[in-house]
Amino acid sequence: MFQLTELQHDALIEIFNLGVGQAAAAMSRIVGDEVTMSVPMISFQSRAEVARTLGSDEGRRICAITQHFQGAFSTEAFLMFPEEKSLEIVRLMVGQSLSLEELSEMEQEAMSEIGNIILNCCMGAFANAAGKELQGSLPTYHVGTGDNILGVSGKEWDGVVLTLKIDFNIERHHIYGYVAFLLDMPALNDLQRYIDAYLAKLMG
Amino acid sequence: MQLSLLQGVLKAVRAGIIVFDAEQRIVLWNQWMEQHSSFPADAILGKTFGEIFPDMVDGRTHVALRAALQNNFASLLSQTLNKAPFPLFANAGDAAAGIRMQQAVHVMPLEVESLPRHCLVQIGDVSMAVAREKKLRELAVELESQTLVDGLTGIANRRRFDQHLDDEFRRAKRNASPLSLIMIDVDYFKDYNDNYGHQHGDECLARIAGALCGVLHRPRDLAARYGGEEFTVVLPDTNEDGALQIAEAMRAEVESLKIEHAYSGVAGCVTISLGVSTLIPELAAKTGSLIHAADRALYQAKRTGRNCVVVYTDSKN
Amino acid sequence: MTTVLVVDDSKVSRLLSKQYILQRHPDWTIAEAASGEEAIDKVEAVGPDLILLDLNMPGMGGLAAVDQLQAKCPSARITLLTANVQDATREKANALGIGFAAKPITEALIDEILSAFGKQ
Repeated sequence: MFQLTELQHDALIEIFNLGVGQAAAAMSRIVGDEVTMSVPMISFQSRAEVARTLGSDEGRRICAITQHFQGAFSTEAFLMFPEEKSLEIVRLMVGQSLSLEELSEMEQEAMSEIGNIILNCCMGAFANAAGKELQGSLPTYHVGTGDNILGVSGKEWDGVVLTLKIDFNIERHHIYGYVAFLLDMPALNDLQRYIDAYLAKLMG
Repeated sequence: MQLSLLQGVLKAVRAGIIVFDAEQRIVLWNQWMEQHSSFPADAILGKTFGEIFPDMVDGRTHVALRAALQNNFASLLSQTLNKAPFPLFANAGDAAAGIRMQQAVHVMPLEVESLPRHCLVQIGDVSMAVAREKKLRELAVELESQTLVDGLTGIANRRRFDQHLDDEFRRAKRNASPLSLIMIDVDYFKDYNDNYGHQHGDECLARIAGALCGVLHRPRDLAARYGGEEFTVVLPDTNEDGALQIAEAMRAEVESLKIEHAYSGVAGCVTISLGVSTLIPELAAKTGSLIHAADRALYQAKRTGRNCVVVYTDSKN
Repeated sequence: MTTVLVVDDSKVSRLLSKQYILQRHPDWTIAEAASGEEAIDKVEAVGPDLILLDLNMPGMGGLAAVDQLQAKCPSARITLLTANVQDATREKANALGIGFAAKPITEALIDEILSAFGKQ
């Protein structure tokens, strides 16, 4: 599987921690309470592996918000929560409590906004670090198994998934989720180049 | 011709459309925006976001505007998390009362030929959708509160029991007929739960409920789950002897389930204690006295050694 | 002779801070720690005048380390660094009597921190 050097790995984690930190600040303004978020771990996996982590084998359902980014490189970005966790987030951010089927249009929209904030912050942090220009779409909301969700990109695809595990803390509730980026070989190479350029800039 | 067509569309479209240039100045403010805000286009055009909306500076909308202009990112401001970000009103009445319209806002980068990037803000009125959702939620809550079935065991719940007892009590009063009540408590249930786990505890209660119902045959007889491990049975047109027979049958039925209980102080399996009371209600009588009597009898059954039936009599107090 | 202790679990962040500080003050000494625990272990030996403390670190984290750092090295000025700028964090920093700065770490940010440090 694709591997980064320790320094590249460190740079990428720090960039994403920056992104989710800013996202947490935005969420805390919305919810009116303390929100902290961090990225303890990133990894490069196959779609099947990610789906497995999300319980696809057991038919477990997840809630996913997706956005498409293009420009300096092209990727499909996902914010994913296991079913129960997304309900918890909705309940905390929105103050309602329903099952996934019942998740009303209004709450789906709220979840979409949460995904929008987090994905934009993550990609924004990366784009700024890389000094590159990207373009981001509006979010879309999906519910399904990991297999369904990650196969949703539509085209024939054979690349790697950059997965970030995200820790959320809202009002003493501890929730975890995942941010994932589908990267084909060109995008993966671009990613490495941009990180190297960023590191070179840092070293002065 | 093209231009007047587009202008016609912008005028007619039933959504707010605002366009900001790279310096956050408003360069387009369509008729819908004029109609629903207090700002006519000529007063607004050329002014910046901060000048027109000072309260919104550095808020979510402003951040989204900057993200569109600088990062080329699109943002969604959901109605649920952003209550009416723009000062917009459905009509003059609402405007006077200060009641803002519920809004769904999309903020998107806009490429304009030969000019730096602009930003398009699209605002939809979602007040109707919000009201509809609120109504649906209220109906769902109401529906749930009307439920008369205990989720775990599938038999009548406390609400249903209360209603049924009231009904039968009144009928018994009218007809001067005897109404009997059995109060039931599962013996050493806490010890069962502690040792076999709550899942088994739940299954045990469900089986007991089934056993109790199996003994009843008449349409107005009702077994209900009264509380955690308590059940109750309403027996209209039943005197003390009849109630005693039914109670004893129930006790035996549960014992014959042979649900293993190594921690019971009375038997190797799960058993129940039962208290029976009967009343021919007089004019001033209340259901409370029937319940209280059955309760006292149940207490006596526990004291006597459990796994038995006690019938309430006045002398026992 | 001014000494700065940079505490951050990210090697890249430590590198950045170190670099920007040395650009401004090539004669200063920069020490590093990768965690709150390591910072507490080292702080007496290092004897820093200024501590840059990342808020979000595994283990005890920045906030929890403040008390012990202040106890062991009362003369050191502490500045908390985080990307997550919200009221709750600001209040905590104020309550502890320490400074506060918003990541990302840029030359401008380091300048701001150094000028605040210089003024005390």
